[in-house]
Amino acid sequence: MEGFMLLLHDRTTQQGDLSPEEIQGIIAEYVAWRDKIAEQGLLIGGEKLADDEGRQLVLDDGAIRVTDGPYAEAKEVLGGYFAIKAADYDEAVEISKDCPHLKYGGRIELRKIDNHR
Amino acid sequence: MPGDNNVIESVDHLFRRHAGQMTAVLTRIFGFGKIDLIEDAIQESMLRALSHWSYKGLPDNPRAWLIQVAKNNILDRLRKSSRDADLEEESKLLDAWARSAGSNIDAAFEKEIREDQLQMIFACCHPALTPDSRIALTLKTVGGFSVTEIATAFLSNKEAVAKMLVRAKKKLRDEGARMEIPVPSELRPRLESVLKVLYLMFNEGYSASGGEIAVRTDLCHEAIRLAKLLADHPLTSQPKVHALAALFLFQASRLPARSGEGGTLIVLPDQDRTLWNREMIGDGLRHFRASASGGEISDYHIEAEIASYHAVSEDYGSTDWNSLLDAYDRLMAVRPSPIAALNRIIALAEVEGEDKALNELQSLADEKLEAYYPYHVTLAELQRRTGRREEALRSYEFAAGLVENAATRCFIEEKIEGIRSRGSLEEHSL
Repeated sequence: MEGFMLLLHDRTTQQGDLSPEEIQGIIAEYVAWRDKIAEQGLLIGGEKLADDEGRQLVLDDGAIRVTDGPYAEAKEVLGGYFAIKAADYDEAVEISKDCPHLKYGGRIELRKIDNHR
Repeated sequence: MPGDNNVIESVDHLFRRHAGQMTAVLTRIFGFGKIDLIEDAIQESMLRALSHWSYKGLPDNPRAWLIQVAKNNILDRLRKSSRDADLEEESKLLDAWARSAGSNIDAAFEKEIREDQLQMIFACCHPALTPDSRIALTLKTVGGFSVTEIATAFLSNKEAVAKMLVRAKKKLRDEGARMEIPVPSELRPRLESVLKVLYLMFNEGYSASGGEIAVRTDLCHEAIRLAKLLADHPLTSQPKVHALAALFLFQASRLPARSGEGGTLIVLPDQDRTLWNREMIGDGLRHFRASASGGEISDYHIEAEIASYHAVSEDYGSTDWNSLLDAYDRLMAVRPSPIAALNRIIALAEVEGEDKALNELQSLADEKLEAYYPYHVTLAELQRRTGRREEALRSYEFAAGLVENAATRCFIEEKIEGIRSRGSLEEHSL
């Protein structure tokens, strides 16, 4: 088994004119997807990242420069991640395909965790 | 705990209910002046739940989580809107609320929530508001329906509903409306207004005039929930409230049998009665019995009585048509309406025969009924049953031309098809 990261990018333009009923429905879809992976023992974890701009750190002319960013006008923001186990990319892609995130306009970046010594 | 995670799917309308409850509680604490801010804070708490629970799964106590987040959100907003706001008292009330909501089984808390919701219903059905805005506001603030859902259910557009709500909320603030159950001397007319709103809400959901079926069925269930809330509270538990609850429950018990594949309308004689919701009928009978105390017999009593004859009949044929006809006669005497007149004719046909019913129906016809499709459907049905095949076809076709709802049109077209195919079979057999 390999480890994979699902990086869930949200479009910043998608706005919430959602009713409580719809919100509940979407949560139920995510929870069902998450539960299914967890029941198969394939879920390592998942976290939501704060909806703020975060900080960027870079070494600039010998000094570490810290800036806010990505900028507010960025089209997408990294909203959170899931870590899962899968045999290979094909299997990880299959699992990711069912994630409701895609249906609701988000983008998923799938990366394999490199644990080869 | 596996299985527990599905609470969100198993609890019907958890969020919608919760939005209504939180609005009522927070409006009691902060007053109507802050209702827009309250609604925004609640919406934000739900969106936060969406982004958090999606990744982490459900918290141990979803309700407490939502309340905590809404509480923090509203205090933040209030502090921002006025820097030196003294929120000490409000914070105490909010803390007490969040604490009691945190313990899952808290009878006192449940009671308080019911109280808050009742007070909110009375405020939303304030006599200063137009009847339409009373319904819209009740659905929005008590029921937790969104503007879009209300617009869908009432075949209106979002902008119009939003404007109506803004005006209604302003009116309530101007009137100095308060969260309270009216004092006994004012209770009667105010309760009347509330019952009327629930009656219209239910009918809007029950009638097949259009819109998305799911949202419309939700209107029926919301009207039932609120009627039961009133019926079970000592201050508002009057016989006519029980009668209204009974009427709703009897009618709604038939909902599962009322639409076929693709949403086609299935009318009473053709319904599969095993699909009727027995639990609702039982609950309806309980409220119907409770409505019999006291001397007053309201329209709601007669309508509930009518619905009860259908609810307890094994099949269409064994319906107690004599009692039903008698009840329709009484209903027509106190509150005549085209729909009651037509239903009375159907009962009359069973009691005194189709020819007599057909005669009476034709003598009823006026300009208004002529434009009312159920009139032509009833006419067609009686013509068919008395062997007037061509006339029946013409009446059904006329009815089809008046109908906008697809499910109803489909029902009429099936009837037309039925007459045509039966007709040709008979010709073959000759």
